[in-house]
Amino acid sequence: MIARERLNQFREKFGDAIERADLTGETRVFIFVRPSALKPICQHVSQELGARYVISIGADDRPYSGKFLIAHDFAFDRVDLLCSVLAYVPPQNPTVESISGVVPAANWAEREIMDMVGIKMLGHPYPKRLVVPDGWPDGVYPLRKDFAWNQAPQGFDDEREFKFDDPPEGCVVVPFGPFHPTLDEPAHFRLYVEGEMVRGCEYRGFMVHRGIEKLAESVLSYNDIPVMAERICGICGCVHSVTYAQAVESATGLEVPPRAQYIRTIMLEIERLHSHLLWVGLAGHVLGFDTLFMQAFRIRERIMWMAEKITGNRKTYGLCVVGGVRRDITPELKDELVDVLDTLQTEWRAVVGAVLKDRNIQKRTSGVGIADAALVKQAGLIGPMARAAGVEIDCRRDHPYAAYNKIEFEVVTERGGDVWSRLLVRAKEVFQSIRIIRQCLEKMERGPIEEKIADLLPVGRIGLSSVEAPRGECHHFIITGENNRPRRWRVRAPTYQNLQGVPMMIKDQSLSDMTIALASIDPCFSCTDRLETIDLISGVKRVWSPGIENLIGCKKG
Amino acid sequence: MARDVLWMFLKCFGNAAIVLLVAPLCHGVMRRITARIQSRQGPPLLQPYMDLLKLLGKEDIESGESPVMQRLAAYLAMSSALVVACLVPMGVASPMSRAADVIVLIYLLALCGICTLFAGLAAGSTYSLIGISREMMTMIALEPLLVIALVIGAIHMRSFQLDRVLGGSVYAIGGVPWSGLIILVVMIFAFQAFVQRVPFDTAEAETEIMEGPLMEYSGPKLALFKYAQMCRLVIHCALFVSLFVPFGSTLPFPFGWLVFWMKIFVLILAVTLVAATHARYRIDQAIRYFAAMMVVAFGALVLASFGM
Repeated sequence: MIARERLNQFREKFGDAIERADLTGETRVFIFVRPSALKPICQHVSQELGARYVISIGADDRPYSGKFLIAHDFAFDRVDLLCSVLAYVPPQNPTVESISGVVPAANWAEREIMDMVGIKMLGHPYPKRLVVPDGWPDGVYPLRKDFAWNQAPQGFDDEREFKFDDPPEGCVVVPFGPFHPTLDEPAHFRLYVEGEMVRGCEYRGFMVHRGIEKLAESVLSYNDIPVMAERICGICGCVHSVTYAQAVESATGLEVPPRAQYIRTIMLEIERLHSHLLWVGLAGHVLGFDTLFMQAFRIRERIMWMAEKITGNRKTYGLCVVGGVRRDITPELKDELVDVLDTLQTEWRAVVGAVLKDRNIQKRTSGVGIADAALVKQAGLIGPMARAAGVEIDCRRDHPYAAYNKIEFEVVTERGGDVWSRLLVRAKEVFQSIRIIRQCLEKMERGPIEEKIADLLPVGRIGLSSVEAPRGECHHFIITGENNRPRRWRVRAPTYQNLQGVPMMIKDQSLSDMTIALASIDPCFSCTDRLETIDLISGVKRVWSPGIENLIGCKKG
Repeated sequence: MARDVLWMFLKCFGNAAIVLLVAPLCHGVMRRITARIQSRQGPPLLQPYMDLLKLLGKEDIESGESPVMQRLAAYLAMSSALVVACLVPMGVASPMSRAADVIVLIYLLALCGICTLFAGLAAGSTYSLIGISREMMTMIALEPLLVIALVIGAIHMRSFQLDRVLGGSVYAIGGVPWSGLIILVVMIFAFQAFVQRVPFDTAEAETEIMEGPLMEYSGPKLALFKYAQMCRLVIHCALFVSLFVPFGSTLPFPFGWLVFWMKIFVLILAVTLVAATHARYRIDQAIRYFAAMMVVAFGALVLASFGM
């Protein structure tokens, strides 16, 4: 009853600043506090109780409660508890005290709330525009309910330019991106370079933001969203659909059949396999070692085929729905998967053996892009980034979901906190994933794979869900709503936090190391930006895109 | 006399022609072998010829900060490579050995690097400027190695004449040629850098600085630059063979010639293998590496001056 304990502690310490508290199960606690108490409570949770900051969410709750809602999510990793500190903010001129001063990891999330919902964060250390495009008019907030999903804002100014900070003295500005051979997606780093050394940078991203959360809140229905969620990311789509489905399930108390849990676990691990193999290959490419790239991709290809055989697709599996999964794993597929895993294990062992002995790669990656345990804590870094710095966090073990509590596996950690350590962590995690899938295939019992939803889902409940994506914890926050769709759905992809650590990682390093340091977080800008890769040929585009394009003011062609 | 000059011109023409002919093939071989190492099929051997033809047929776009300089840099790259080709023996004795000595050769080789400098300056972008700064650092650290090798040969032969130095001169003393052997080892370790392949392709480093100096090039000018780079690979191989592996080159015409090209082929094979199995060094790591080479090379030079 750790949730109850924590709640009692809060009550003792903060007394009537806590207006209401919800305990939904043993692993979730929602504390509604007075807006003025947000900052001290978050400070207490983060600094004294040592909770890990996850994300902040702003929501327009005016149609329901007449107020705005703000939530700060924290995770107590050791004791499997997700905690949300919420506050209702008055509708007129909504302001609340910023927590970024005491919880630096909240920097971006709070800026996003300012941009998208228009809740002012008083005392934010760097209240610069983050998400909305350069020409977006001030005072227009796309995530407010009175802003229609297909509305084009008045006064969008194409000519308006983003004002970057001045570079430090003696530094030259080197633009890195939006287009660069090692960036697979657009993002802009404005590097301040002195000779060959990077002294600092400013980030301007969110170039492919297409309002996916807004769509979900206003157009889609509960079981449309998993398919949409899957398209948030180009690599770990399944992660997003599972996280979303679990958030809804946890909010509404839906039970998912065991077999579906196992199938979800298997697909999540297959996704981790192909993602890690892809990463090792890309890291090789960035270092100019194309042989590693080609071999990693060759080995990866059979996993992609396997994914296609199981789900019908190489990537966007369309597998997970609220309440279960859509496809079963047949005995034939099981045998073939076992075979693929055996081959993978042998081949990967050879590759890892070669890489470990390669002094050349070590020279390029050791001591590069260091994120030590202190930075991990400060910026809220997660996944292989944290584990490579010796911070042992892994949602699969810390907040078990799907079938992970029935599976044995190790959490791989390293000490160095540099690119080399991250390489080792990812390379070794591949073996753990193989182990997990094998166990799942063995233990999986027969049974239904989907819980049919008989009634309308309850309204106004909050769900949290964390899934260990290949890049780190993927967290979704959801408030259930009317019309068979959520009121608010907030996606926190792992790169959203990890990217905030990059400026510190590349500081005072050679420009040549910039690419590999950035690549080492395995950045997924589409996740961070929450882009929607709508197929241009299919009819889907005609349904949504014209509105969306106007919405964010991007020009076609 | 007139006949001699005509003959010399013909031989020069022959040298340039064979380098132009063979260079893309060598590149094709490299790409094919690389592909095999990477479990790929690889392009046809003649693909580089097609690529060059394709580039030559494209629109000639003027771009960058100073298009004239950009054009001149491409011309200069190609022409300096071809002139060097006339000075280096390509299976037969160097055709211009009477017209120039090794000092000229050294300057002309430096000119090849200067072209990259011009190209980068002409583009004027941040990345190409980083590229040329890297290129210059590499050149400053690398050129002396070649100079020392040639000078050691010259000391042993007591002559700067091309045909005398470019014939395994580094071993040309009585007893064990210590200086020659040491500089041979140094050149083997530095050779990858002379031909600008991974792990020493820092000046272009596509994944870091987007081809650096070449980033504004396209169409025919890019073809010229790429062609010049291919030629330089062959020329550097020929130089290496002439200086360090002269064995068998004195055989009668078709055999000596064949042995020479066989050696070039083996050298290219080695370059490919190293390139396919290494990650790129950072510029500071590369420079430190060259510096170590330089110290050893100076040692060899001292030995040579004492006749060892």
